[in-house]
Amino acid sequence: MTDKRGYIGFACAYTPIPIIYAAGYTPYRILPMGDSTDQAGHILHDNLCPHIKRILDRAMGDDLPDLAGMVFMNSCDAMRRLSDAWQRVRPDVKMILLDLPATTDELAVSYFAGEISKFINTVSEWSGEKIENDDIEYGILLYNQIADFMNELTEKIHGGKMDISVSVLQRLFNRSVTGSPVSFIEDARKILSESRPGIETNEGVPVFLFGHVLPDPEAFQLFESCSAKITGDDLCTGSRFFSPVPADWKKEFVESLAESLLLRPPCARTIDSAIPGKIGKIMVSKANKSGARGAVCHVVKFCDPYFSRLPSIREEFRKAGMPLLVLEGDCTLRSIGQQQTRIEAFIEMLK
Amino acid sequence: MMLQYFKDLESGIAEKIKQNPDIPNARKKYALEVSRLGRRLYSGENSVAWCGVTAPFDLLSAMGVTSCFVEFIGAMLASTGAIGTFLDHAEHSGYASDICGYHRSVLGSAKQGLMPVPDFLIATSCPCTGGLAVMENLAQIFKKDLFVLHIPQDESEKSVKYLADQIKEMTRFVSAHTGRPLDKEALGRAIENTNRARELMKEVFELASHVPSPTNGHDLSNFGIVMALLLGTESAIEISEAYRDEFAARNMDMKPGMPGEKHRLMWIQNRIQFKNPLDRLLREQYRANIVVDELNSITWEPVDPDDPYTGLARRAISIPFNGTIKRRVDHLQKLALTYKIDGAINPCHRGCRQGAGARGLISEGLREIGIPVLNLEVDVVDPRDFAEGQLATRVEAFIEMLGSRT
Repeated sequence: MTDKRGYIGFACAYTPIPIIYAAGYTPYRILPMGDSTDQAGHILHDNLCPHIKRILDRAMGDDLPDLAGMVFMNSCDAMRRLSDAWQRVRPDVKMILLDLPATTDELAVSYFAGEISKFINTVSEWSGEKIENDDIEYGILLYNQIADFMNELTEKIHGGKMDISVSVLQRLFNRSVTGSPVSFIEDARKILSESRPGIETNEGVPVFLFGHVLPDPEAFQLFESCSAKITGDDLCTGSRFFSPVPADWKKEFVESLAESLLLRPPCARTIDSAIPGKIGKIMVSKANKSGARGAVCHVVKFCDPYFSRLPSIREEFRKAGMPLLVLEGDCTLRSIGQQQTRIEAFIEMLK
Repeated sequence: MMLQYFKDLESGIAEKIKQNPDIPNARKKYALEVSRLGRRLYSGENSVAWCGVTAPFDLLSAMGVTSCFVEFIGAMLASTGAIGTFLDHAEHSGYASDICGYHRSVLGSAKQGLMPVPDFLIATSCPCTGGLAVMENLAQIFKKDLFVLHIPQDESEKSVKYLADQIKEMTRFVSAHTGRPLDKEALGRAIENTNRARELMKEVFELASHVPSPTNGHDLSNFGIVMALLLGTESAIEISEAYRDEFAARNMDMKPGMPGEKHRLMWIQNRIQFKNPLDRLLREQYRANIVVDELNSITWEPVDPDDPYTGLARRAISIPFNGTIKRRVDHLQKLALTYKIDGAINPCHRGCRQGAGARGLISEGLREIGIPVLNLEVDVVDPRDFAEGQLATRVEAFIEMLGSRT
């Protein structure tokens, strides 16, 4: 199997990308980057998440490779509206909207598996070729490998065990979701084998970084230039994205894929009804585990799932005695750059 | 504070109805039931559940639970004029000022200990992710159990079954909290009431579409969404009958709700819930009548009493705010044509990503059938930054533009 059919775009970290690959396409995550003109607000609303608006700006500005299709997840209101607007601005690109349960219980996993099956049928129609179980198995194996590579790299880089900066790590992540997975694995192997181990390159203050999207490598450079050393992250354009499908996945491909996606470290939009406010607890636990002295939460404006949970996230950090800095951004480096003084002051305070 | 408010409201309206018992008094009967619901919620005497907008209120009612979507409280706080305090409190507690005002006010109220502590909470993923988030927050604040209903986006058999299974699971959750098993006979009666109310509401909406309309622009404000709370009860039937009789009489006697009705308007999503001059401006200066609200329609089939969960699931999925915007635009176009409207007003409730986020696409969809849309920028429950002069100017310009088209 090859991924020679071209790209299928996606926008959300919950997308079942092994299926895209299994159908012979290369998954292409449309990251909210680039210099496209700001015009999405006319179609949607200016008070909508910049992640979504930047993606639409890219679609409207023709700042995308040729796409054979586009898959959206019904992960939040803004993402659903993006899928609506996509149809309006890019009617030339086929698209599908997959429902994504808000919870992770058994019923939800089973329903989501049905949505993935629907996607398999749709993408088969797009390609004109049935997707075989072997193809899905290969796709899962391939992305499991990428997940393993990325997790290993992330752990080593965050742990200061590789002479690679976090901005390079972010570049690698961006490549892993926008290019051929096969060539990415080859390059990742090379990076891992050529890296110099055991060299602590960053003497900065250990900080845990979380939020949703932060794909710009220069943002990470900025953190480092403020004397921060990122020791762990929980970002959907970072470590949260890659979760291998568990070892027993071969029993039922689709169910296992559904389960691994729904049960991966959650985005703020996913609820564990048994533990309301769980996300704050998870962040504190991850921050502690990473050895951070403080945490930075980067949230894009108008993100209801995150903003509505910020008070309880703050409270969890307060209870844990860990300083927290909340940054509000709009997916541009400019917006983070404007907060440089705040980041510097925060790091200074942690020293 | 709110208990006394609802008690006073209830007794005041009951007294007014008593003064004229022979007329239908539709709006008064509606307001009376709203105040009774408020009293039940705040009295501390009932099992109470705070819910999302698309929870099955008739099923909950059959299980002896007084249930209500939390946005209702936001609207009530706005109508009392006291909402500013709660919004301020929520913002000072760290909730961003650009999240939905309904949700902010409820969070502020809960944080101040002025919202009844529920027995449990039932969140729904429709209409919005913001609504889900507020329910999770409330569950934390109240330290009460939360059940989440994920409302699928389409009405495929698979989706309906998924939601029906969740609703079944929800009844077990409710029973576990109330200690009362589901009484199938009570549920059967509730479903019968729901179906009867549905038929009557359909008649009411058909009558309201008459030209000129029997509504006065205010009669049916908030009606469709609030009636969902009363489904399953005899009150829903009584209110709907009163509206049907009142509207039928007005149509027959050729006494329209707004004499001299000049422009027929559709209101998209929610009305502005606090006192504001726009209603009066439309009504008195321009004879512009809001003849239909987006949610004043029946989008679901009768619920089969032998298979209630499936019918309840279909109903929740069917609401226009659910699913793709194409579905919603189709619905709005249908209403626009049925009610022969001249224009539509969309308040673009600030902070509503699912609603205001579709502003441009809704405008385009209605423009396709020749209906102009006025997009305002309002938080429909937050009077603190209501730009009265600016908004009035825009409304005036819009109505004058409509006038120039006729």
